[in-house]
Amino acid sequence: MTELLRTEHLTRHFKIGGTMSRRTLHAVDDVSFGINEREIVALAGESGSGKSTIARMLARIYRPTSGEIYFEGKPLSRIRSRRDQLRYSGLVPMVFQDPFGSINPVFRVQHGVLRCLKLHRPELSAKQRLDEAARVFGVVGLNADMLQRFPYELSGGQRQRVGFAQALAMRPKLILADEPVSMLDVSIRIGLLNLMTKLRDEEGVSILYITHDIASARYVADRLVVMYAGQIAETGPIEDVLAHPRHPYTQLLLSAVPDPRAPLSVAAETDRGDPPKVIDPAPGCRFRWRCPLAIDTCAQITPELAELSPGHDAACHVAQTTAEEVKAFS
Amino acid sequence: MQSRVPDTPVLEVSGLSVDYLLDRGAVRAVDDVSFTVSRGEFLGIVGESGCGKSTLLFAVAQLLAPPAMIAAGSVTFDGANLVGLTDGQLSAIRWRDMSVVMQSAMNALNPVKTIGAQFKDAMRAHGKHTSEEVTARSAEVLRMVGIDPVHLRSYPHQLSGGMRQRSMIAMAMLFTPDLVIMDEPTSALDVVAQRSLMVQIKDLQQAFGFAVIFVTHDMSLISHFSDQLMVMYAGQVDELGATRTIFDRPRHPYTQGLLEAFPSIRGPRVPLKGIPGHPPDLSAIPTGCRFHPRCPHALDRCAEVEPDLYPLDDELVRCLRLADGSLSS
Repeated sequence: MTELLRTEHLTRHFKIGGTMSRRTLHAVDDVSFGINEREIVALAGESGSGKSTIARMLARIYRPTSGEIYFEGKPLSRIRSRRDQLRYSGLVPMVFQDPFGSINPVFRVQHGVLRCLKLHRPELSAKQRLDEAARVFGVVGLNADMLQRFPYELSGGQRQRVGFAQALAMRPKLILADEPVSMLDVSIRIGLLNLMTKLRDEEGVSILYITHDIASARYVADRLVVMYAGQIAETGPIEDVLAHPRHPYTQLLLSAVPDPRAPLSVAAETDRGDPPKVIDPAPGCRFRWRCPLAIDTCAQITPELAELSPGHDAACHVAQTTAEEVKAFS
Repeated sequence: MQSRVPDTPVLEVSGLSVDYLLDRGAVRAVDDVSFTVSRGEFLGIVGESGCGKSTLLFAVAQLLAPPAMIAAGSVTFDGANLVGLTDGQLSAIRWRDMSVVMQSAMNALNPVKTIGAQFKDAMRAHGKHTSEEVTARSAEVLRMVGIDPVHLRSYPHQLSGGMRQRSMIAMAMLFTPDLVIMDEPTSALDVVAQRSLMVQIKDLQQAFGFAVIFVTHDMSLISHFSDQLMVMYAGQVDELGATRTIFDRPRHPYTQGLLEAFPSIRGPRVPLKGIPGHPPDLSAIPTGCRFHPRCPHALDRCAEVEPDLYPLDDELVRCLRLADGSLSS
């Protein structure tokens, strides 16, 4: 397995308040993870945990405050020329959450695809561009005659497929998919999730799947990264993490997923689900206020990720000191 | 976690239809919907966007505004038909006996007023109360949903999404109503906050015995909380019955498809298919059974004959295959 992309101590802070304000919001703090070729990595966490900020840094919409992103071994901060910039954004395109807001409503849907092709693959003739647009539409499960439609004529699921077709036209290595199914109806979500696995298996594309829905992450992803308050709480092969969650936050998250097939678990009742404070945070674990396992160390030292079983890391003092799995919530 | 279900109905909806009067003609968003909610019962209504579930709630609460209007049917609440009542007559019932929790607390709360001021508005509008009574009751309901009463002086933006949603529920509890109508109150929350809110609603319901109508698009969310479940598709009821029965043995192909559309976090990883196609546009409804273009079991006559709601055991199911017993339990 070749590593495609790696982040090293990726950090992004935002200044908030007026010009005189010294307050800083730590959206993403010291995040290091990798994405391999032909791999779907799910980035999960509650709203405000920094998932989308990471995606935006990977798409070069935000510059990191510190830390570095390596793509195919080369640091992104070295990208200077427009040519390299274009090449990178073609290799790592983004698919957005809102299929109703992310397609220009006044053009036919082929407009976006053809523009991407013209910009990123200038060697193609006009005829070849049309053929290629029809091909990618076929791959994502749309008829070629859909190219002539206007966005308002398509359903939400079809529009989101257009988003994937547009990304695919650039022959990407990695698609950044920020909550691509959360605005779709449940009956058509599965179709999109199946499309993502198809792109991985047949087109060899890696996908960073950003979601708050653990069940859908399990359905498509190979690895899981759980974020909490801008930091990675736990990461590892998805089946391993879900079967043996080591971080108390992952355990809380899993216990809260509604599962009609399982009996009701009541442990989460004590948890209010209040979001963590990420404005000028002091050292220490950011989950400690909600954590039933918290010890004194948690208030003083920020836990770092440590490998607890092969490929499976957790940032938790308690999990790291005890060899066995400690269940805080189940 | 099933609550006791006494028999007196608090709400009886019968033959309710709602039309949107548009330039190109009337579009029927809710078509001939009937159901009963007993005292202290939890009714879950699920369906996809555009199936008419929110319109139905608005019709029950008499909150429809033009171009929507009730075309037929009645809404009997505590023995009185609400359809056709004037605003003045409704005002005596609203909030005292029937309250509504809206989908997005972000927009439903007034951003420039404190939580306490908004509670006071609601109490003043629906009864005579001294300021001491208002303050005492406001603090009491906030405590009931687990929020410190100091937040009566907070503005909505100072609260987290979960707290805003809980203060909306507190507001609905001001008068201990008989019926609380909830329109996707948890949709803006993440799973952990969602679960804690659901448990809270259920606890309050058991403590005070009000009935709940809960609308959601997420079927798995209410699987442990509702007594009765109603599945809607394209403005009609497709299946209505006890929640546990429907989850254990869904009868309508649409319900079956919905249940199979949720990946599970436990058990083996199995490929899922979802439901092909997409929900119909209500201004161009398919002939016959409205679900037949997407139905894996559709027969020829499904495209021609419009199915009724057929009683089957203790359930109602709208499917032709169940009408003549060609597919029994």
